[in-house]
Amino acid sequence: MALLSSPLGAPVRAVAKIRASVHVKLLAGFLLITLLFIAMTAVSLRTFAETARETNLLDQAHERVGWSRQIEHALAMQMHFTSMTLLSQGSDPVSLILRENNRFNDTLARLEIAAPAEERALIQAIRGAQDDAMATVADIANAVRDKRLAEAMTVLRTRQEPVYQKIETLVGSLVAAEETRMAKFRASLAATHRQSMRLMAGFAVASVVLALVGGFVISWSFILPVRAAHGFLSDVAAGRFGGTLVVPNRDEFGALAEHMTWMSRELRRLDDEQRVAAATLRGLNDRLALASRAKSEFLANMSHELRTPLNAILGFTEIILDELYGEVPANLREPLVDIQTNGRHLLSLINDVLDLSKIEAGRLELGVGEYSVQEIVEVVHASLRSLAIEKGLAFSVRVAPGIPTAWGDGRRLTQCLLNLAGNALKFTRHGRVDIDVSLADDWLTFRVVDTGIGIPKDEVENIFAEFRQVDTTITREYGGTGLGLSITKRLVELHGGRIGVESELGRGSTFFFTVPLRADGGPA
Amino acid sequence: MKDRTVLHIEDNEYNRKIVRQLLSRTTYRLLEAADGEEGLAVAKRELPDLILMDVQLPKLSGLDATRLLRADPRTASIPLVVVTSFALSGDDRKAMDAGASAYLAKPYSPRDLMALIHRFLPEN
Repeated sequence: MALLSSPLGAPVRAVAKIRASVHVKLLAGFLLITLLFIAMTAVSLRTFAETARETNLLDQAHERVGWSRQIEHALAMQMHFTSMTLLSQGSDPVSLILRENNRFNDTLARLEIAAPAEERALIQAIRGAQDDAMATVADIANAVRDKRLAEAMTVLRTRQEPVYQKIETLVGSLVAAEETRMAKFRASLAATHRQSMRLMAGFAVASVVLALVGGFVISWSFILPVRAAHGFLSDVAAGRFGGTLVVPNRDEFGALAEHMTWMSRELRRLDDEQRVAAATLRGLNDRLALASRAKSEFLANMSHELRTPLNAILGFTEIILDELYGEVPANLREPLVDIQTNGRHLLSLINDVLDLSKIEAGRLELGVGEYSVQEIVEVVHASLRSLAIEKGLAFSVRVAPGIPTAWGDGRRLTQCLLNLAGNALKFTRHGRVDIDVSLADDWLTFRVVDTGIGIPKDEVENIFAEFRQVDTTITREYGGTGLGLSITKRLVELHGGRIGVESELGRGSTFFFTVPLRADGGPA
Repeated sequence: MKDRTVLHIEDNEYNRKIVRQLLSRTTYRLLEAADGEEGLAVAKRELPDLILMDVQLPKLSGLDATRLLRADPRTASIPLVVVTSFALSGDDRKAMDAGASAYLAKPYSPRDLMALIHRFLPEN
């Protein structure tokens, strides 16, 4: 902004402050230069006209000087021919004198028309003297004709010669006057020329200076706000909001600066709001984390608290059935087994709820390690075989040969397969349930195929959502929390895998999930 | 030969009763404690042959008690079974890290518990 304090600062500021659009200012600048050009052209034309006029005057003066010379010549010839009249005593010279007289008069008449007013008197005097001279010529001619030679000589000497001398003197002053005038014109022309040169040079210099200053001032009145805006926007880019962009302009740049200031303030306001919101969210997040931790702790404690009495219920039931307290009467055995079945069901509910709440809180971590696919399938088969036999279902397992030791959470995957196979057995009344595991491109696919009741098409999408069973009456008929599939899905996804189902109502379902042979977290 | 001693540390009376009933027909001598501090004191005084430790105990947690027992050279080598609350909760790993010889998830089958006891401590 050093420029604004320089002498040119004031006009720059002044141009900036003009309440006109940039377009108009530029147009005015160009118009100024154009006007200077037009003015310069006009001055040049005027100078040329002046010079031409003076040249013309000079020409005329020159012409008049020529005519004066002719008069002088004609006079000389007259005097010569007058003398000849005396010498030759004939009439020939008289006609020559008359010819010269005519030329004299013609030239004088032309001169009289062209001559300025002050020369008219002189010309009249010349004409009068010439008339006198012609009168004496006539007298001389008459005397010569009458052979009065002595008289003719006297007239020539006493009258003719003084008249010619007088004419000569008069013509001489005329020539001198015209020459003086010509000299004056010449000097005036030179002066006019010099003056017009000076005028044009001055105009040229003034135009260049004015155009340069005008261009400079106008362009800087545009550059200054742009520079100021550049600095201002650098601040905004660096996150320093809320400043004010001050420019003297009252044109588009002024409006732009106002908008930028407004924008910066708005950004400041939004930034402040965002900061407050972020702080609020941070506080909220901390409180949520605290609440989540409290919830997890509560669930862990609750789980243990629920398990302890359940342990007693199931423990006592088992040792009674094992007849540690003595023989069990036959009619009590069935209700005791019922207690055991319901206790176990209650346990599975507690486990599911705990698992799901841990998954929801994002606190469930996989305990990854090496596991054997064969072992998982065998555990599941062993756990469910008795149920299959009880329901009269065929239950087979098949593991593709050559599957290497895998990496992942073997126990959680066992839980997944147990869930799917358990469901399959639960929802199949007749036929069979088969477990099949295959490996392709380092992905393991666990498949459970049943010949059960199947799932309606519109329910397939929701089958993995929490607390979802196709029909709530199913819960009553088949039991279960409706959480098993949801938990299985989350566990498979934690392994980076995918779960799916293909089903045909009344024909059966195929549930499958795929997991990487070496799930995330394992060594490469 | 002196009868083998089993120390059962568990705050729930009914669960203690089950183990009491289980062991009543065996030759094991049963010692009981209802909280972590008491269990630690009894273990250091009596030096039992096997300890059954519940994971969640009043006053001193089962895991802390396990660590203290393992830190004491007189009790460091006594077989110790921690009864965890849930096989999948991560307690099992914590129990093994604390120095347990084995773990058993609650609710356990009394038969499985007997099998574990027999494994670590064959009956005379």
